[in-house]
Amino acid sequence: MTESAPDLLQRKIIHIDMDAFFASVEQRDDPELQGKPVAVGGSSKRGVVAAASYEAREYGVRSAMPSITAKRRCPDLIFVKHRFHVYREVSQQIRAIFRMHSELVEPLSLDEAFIDVTQDKMGIGNATRIAEMIRAEIKKQTNLTASAGVSYNKFLAKIASDQNKPDGICVIKPHQGADFVAQLPVRRFFGVGPKTAERMAKLNIHNGADLRAQSEDFLRQHFGKSAGYLFRASRGVDHREVRADRIRKSVGGERTYGDDLVTDSDLQDAFENIIDIVWNSIEKSGARGRTVTLKAKYADFRQVTRSHSVDHYVADKNEFAAIGRELLEQIMPVENGVRLLGLTLANLEGAEAADARSTASVHDANQSTFDFD
Amino acid sequence: MKATIERAALLKSLGHVQSVVERRNTIPILSNVLIEASDGGGIKLMATDLDLQVVETVEAQVETAGSITVSAHTLFDIARKLPDGSQVQMDAADGKMKVNAGRARFNLQTLPRDDFPIIAEGDLPTRFELPATSLIQIIDKTKFAISTEETRYYLNGIFLHVQDEDTPVLKAAATDGHRLARVTLPRPAGAEGMPDVIVPRKCVNELRKLLDENSESSVQIDLSASKIRFTLGSAILTSKLIDGTFPDYTRVIPTGNDKLLKIDPKSFAQGVDRVSTIATEKTRAVKMALGDDKITLSVTSPENGKAEEEVPGSYTEEAFEIGFNSRYLMDILSEIEGDTVELHLADAGAPTLIRENDKSAALYVLMPMRV
Repeated sequence: MTESAPDLLQRKIIHIDMDAFFASVEQRDDPELQGKPVAVGGSSKRGVVAAASYEAREYGVRSAMPSITAKRRCPDLIFVKHRFHVYREVSQQIRAIFRMHSELVEPLSLDEAFIDVTQDKMGIGNATRIAEMIRAEIKKQTNLTASAGVSYNKFLAKIASDQNKPDGICVIKPHQGADFVAQLPVRRFFGVGPKTAERMAKLNIHNGADLRAQSEDFLRQHFGKSAGYLFRASRGVDHREVRADRIRKSVGGERTYGDDLVTDSDLQDAFENIIDIVWNSIEKSGARGRTVTLKAKYADFRQVTRSHSVDHYVADKNEFAAIGRELLEQIMPVENGVRLLGLTLANLEGAEAADARSTASVHDANQSTFDFD
Repeated sequence: MKATIERAALLKSLGHVQSVVERRNTIPILSNVLIEASDGGGIKLMATDLDLQVVETVEAQVETAGSITVSAHTLFDIARKLPDGSQVQMDAADGKMKVNAGRARFNLQTLPRDDFPIIAEGDLPTRFELPATSLIQIIDKTKFAISTEETRYYLNGIFLHVQDEDTPVLKAAATDGHRLARVTLPRPAGAEGMPDVIVPRKCVNELRKLLDENSESSVQIDLSASKIRFTLGSAILTSKLIDGTFPDYTRVIPTGNDKLLKIDPKSFAQGVDRVSTIATEKTRAVKMALGDDKITLSVTSPENGKAEEEVPGSYTEEAFEIGFNSRYLMDILSEIEGDTVELHLADAGAPTLIRENDKSAALYVLMPMRV
């Protein structure tokens, strides 16, 4: 069968991810901060870390971590306020570098992007060399380092860029894809959070190879609509295209809680944390939107959503938080415990136009494709 | 400008040019047809979408030379509804164009001629001629394989290139990554040294329509690395070429496939068509089980049920099963003219080579589906 055969039109995809982006920019611009543990974000009681320098990471400081926890782990941690206009500028610079090599650039946020270099615009000859040129050019122009993943699909390219971070590169060739995925812990698969990983562990699924041993039916039974993705990804297969015109329709985030939230104050505390995390990713993506949606899942797995639209783009974190709190009040008090809370900003700028453009390009996972390389 | 033209002649030429005009245009002038009447008699009609332009010359009695642009679709609709045999008088003055025929009078809005964009052809150093029948053969046997995926724009057309094999040849190929179609013809005089070009799908479609009415004649082709011009009968079609690199498709044409199936393409296609009745949009896959001198086609759909049909054929290699997208298979089979088609297979995961025989100009490669 064709399972292990490369059954995609062989694409060459690079995933570029800036190393500790916000923190590195701050360290670059303030020599005082160089070599020190730095966190970008608010140091207040409610603040969360938006980005941590590699020095801070050694102490276990991570992005999206409450600032209080971060300070406890690393007492010398220096908090600096974010400067999004600077990050945006750098982001423009690196995107211009990407576009020198391909029209097909899909930014995921200010500091990462997929680049499809199958066409090799500059005629460099191989994708690894292109990735190295991009990294060198980023270093030269911005004095910042980036890591690159090079592979034949988006899933593997993204995983590869994380492999030799910081300032590293990792190439996964078509014949290595399946083996590479086999040894990958399930947590590294997109969409597998701590909760799902726990459920997988109970089923004795720890890595890609374990996942691959399961039938699609089995995966569907246990993991619902992620089944198709998990089935393909565990085989190193990912048919998604790099889409230059892709515009996000929403930005959001959610958390599943180990212990159900029962009291109003537990709920509110957790919610404030969600606001921080989600607003961080909104700022990071540079998105502006008009609709805020709250999602809650109860202990009995019943799910409710509440949303509210305003006639302008949500201006700042305060407005976002205020709308969010109103929505939360609508579902309070909760009779059952809450196991999941999420917030989303939708109706984004530019999304309507993207809707009209998007074409239904259906890829059948079972149809094999030519290997032109 | 003032000219009179026979309704049938106007309708025919407008029919050629108006299909180039996109139905929805953000640039108003692109909705219009340029009408140019010259002193020597005869008028030129021209339409463009900025990538593709058609110019059609028709006989007419010209009273006053001049040029104007009016809505192509409106003028076409008017011509369509006018009584057969009527004489159509077009008279442009003061930003309007009067159209008079029989008892009907129209007064149409116009846009100035100078705003009408014309594709700069530049130098077209390669010139050769192809019989219309050859061009029809190239298009009909490859067009279905052209990719519609806009992100891979370099596959959105037919790739033309010349090669020196035992004898010099001109090859036309199209692929969407799942199937490949290629036609090989003797290289026409004048095509030697021509650049590799990718002719965009819309140009191919318009050309095919024009060829229907000029299937007896030969077509003059002029091209450079960026533009191509087809001259056939009273029409001239000029198109920009796709600026990209077509992949080295020859590498996906299998050479060592040793399992040969010979089968009647008609009963094969009909069988595929019948069993795929069961298939839904999602499961277009048809399974083909090859056994001693027969194949068994089957489709299983979780929603609809099962279908099976046996088709006799000549096959002596080991039995095995392979799956294909039924539509892709039928697209290819419908282009086979003889009463036998050869399928050169390797295994269920490898490309299959399909052709009438080793002398046929057309060759197809089809990737399997997992079933």
